[in-house]
Amino acid sequence: MDSWVDWAHMYLCRPVTAHVCGLRAAKTQNRPVERGETKTEATRGFLRHSGSATARRAPQPPLADEMGIKGLTKLLADNAPKAMKEQKFESYFGRKIAVDASMSIYQFLIVVGRTGMETLTNEAGEVTSHLQGMFNRTIRLLEAGIKPVYSKREDATKDLTEAVEEGDKDAIEKFSKRTVKVTRQHNDDCKRLLRLMGVPVVEAPCEAEAECAALCKDDKVYAVASEDMDSLTFGSKRFLRHLMDPSSKKIPVMEFDVAKVLEELELTMDQFIDLCILCGCDYCDSIKGIGGQTALKLIRQHGSIESILENLNKDRYQIPEDWPYQEARRLFKEPDVTLDIPELKWTAPDEEGLISFLVKDNGFNEDRVTKAIEKIKSAKNKSSQGRLESFFKPVATTSAPLKRKETSDKTTKAAANKKTKAGGKKK
Amino acid sequence: MLELRLVQGSLLKKVLEAIRELVTDANFDCSGTGFSLQAMDSSHVALVALLLRAEGFEHYRCDRNLSMGMNLNNMAKMLRCAGNEDIITIKADDGSDTVTFMFESPKQDKISDFEMKLMDIDSEHLGIPDSEYQAIVRMPSAEFMRICKDLSSIGDTVVISVTKEGVKFSTSGEIGSANIVCRQNQTVDKPEEATIIEMQEPVSLTFALRYMNSFTKASSLSEQVTISLSSELPVVVEYKIAEMGYIRFYLAPKIEEDEEMKP
Repeated sequence: MDSWVDWAHMYLCRPVTAHVCGLRAAKTQNRPVERGETKTEATRGFLRHSGSATARRAPQPPLADEMGIKGLTKLLADNAPKAMKEQKFESYFGRKIAVDASMSIYQFLIVVGRTGMETLTNEAGEVTSHLQGMFNRTIRLLEAGIKPVYSKREDATKDLTEAVEEGDKDAIEKFSKRTVKVTRQHNDDCKRLLRLMGVPVVEAPCEAEAECAALCKDDKVYAVASEDMDSLTFGSKRFLRHLMDPSSKKIPVMEFDVAKVLEELELTMDQFIDLCILCGCDYCDSIKGIGGQTALKLIRQHGSIESILENLNKDRYQIPEDWPYQEARRLFKEPDVTLDIPELKWTAPDEEGLISFLVKDNGFNEDRVTKAIEKIKSAKNKSSQGRLESFFKPVATTSAPLKRKETSDKTTKAAANKKTKAGGKKK
Repeated sequence: MLELRLVQGSLLKKVLEAIRELVTDANFDCSGTGFSLQAMDSSHVALVALLLRAEGFEHYRCDRNLSMGMNLNNMAKMLRCAGNEDIITIKADDGSDTVTFMFESPKQDKISDFEMKLMDIDSEHLGIPDSEYQAIVRMPSAEFMRICKDLSSIGDTVVISVTKEGVKFSTSGEIGSANIVCRQNQTVDKPEEATIIEMQEPVSLTFALRYMNSFTKASSLSEQVTISLSSELPVVVEYKIAEMGYIRFYLAPKIEEDEEMKP
């Protein structure tokens, strides 16, 4: 059952963002997601065979179908390779990591509708796949000594009510679609499960992504784990992809460092946000004919969307009518988040509570749950291991590498070449 | 241009065997003063610091400070091809992406060149301040290795406590518990068999045995090991390398998280 949930996780993209992006939604929904993911798997093969995780290697090939900011991974791989680093899952040991829970819940749930697996319901016929997925995935994090904190949207139906009151048609559309599958019940189930496991849950006033980023900016957590590239746009200091991927896939974690992204792209944070909007984000359309590379060139040349609009050849590029880029920018810069949260605490699991909730209420196998609780408890012990960085601080090294490092402006071709000779080889 | 000639080549072999379990890739730093390395394990819990001073080499030439990223398993593979009596010379040219290990047999009748590809390793360098430790234990390295090995068959962690009486290593696991006390002992015939405890104040810290066991791989480098302990600091397990320098292992302690244990 575990591997089945893992499978589902790999092969299904989160449709949540698709709903949010208005006009882009239709396109995204109809796209055969499986194909894109399979392609990624094939190209990842290179990385799996090569040397170690700490060594910087060729950046991962971009996803065919990317969540959040369109084509940003590829753009960064080509223009800011130093901002991307492959890390071993274990290296996040002892770190506090914010995870977007809404996304995971959706992923686990959508699986049920698609395959109709009967095993993932309880006696009353209620879906339990979200609990199964959340339970197993969280245990994996805890076992690695990672301290996860889940960020979850406050009940989405509440947003709907507000939207109706405000008469915001777009928002009604957005939220009504969003509530199709993830019900308040699912959210509450997961929240209850996580609390019983001793894992903190933070209620996000709006986007869970934005809340995660805010926690990271405020140094409450070390990094944000998501598959949605707009975590970077929201300003997460460190952004991790593939942290939540199933271990069976053996995909290394890809860490993005936003400060290095800006340094390598030679942009300010505001310019980076504009770049992301131009690439295509969840909140508004992009200009047809302008992709990542062109957008980067334009931003570097003109500095902001306003200035680009002034200088852009209007005959060649069609700027969407009623283009709410300013609104998108505001959402990225000043998202509705809360930092007024109690101190994050990871507590011992509530054994009786977990058994009552999972076994009695939701028909989980008691032996399995008991074993899992043992895992949580022993993981708890492991998480008491300190990291060296809490005692010694990093310093700059004085020695230069024997061979001079390549300059940052690598082309895609160069990156592709490097991949073929990866494996303990200096670039 | 870099050329380091080490008459006692077996020493480099032993150094590699001592650290390659802990660290897979690392940057070797060369400067006018010596050949050094600092690297952390993948979970950033343990750190190894190696220093081989320039004076310890028969010939030492290093024109400018530079670092060479190496895969330690690959390096160990190459060094295993050197005989124990061989003289090892490390050579690298500016701008090159390889390093050469030259092995000369003692009779000079066989010379082997092994060229290894370098890696670009992005690693953090930690600043380690000089600290006064609350307790410093010096004991035979073989004894320490034995203790770590024995305890790890019982439990996962070791509590090292230093008091006036001596140093106590204890663990507990599912099958039971174990306590080993080593008393101060300077009345031995050979100085390398002595156990010496310098204590400012009693200290007790908990560590993962897995790492301790890995450190003891360096026991072949030195008859004695020095364990320096302070509460609030990582332990230092040091093996001196005669006339050359040292290999030091730092390990972050386990921290009791009382407040978080509340339900």
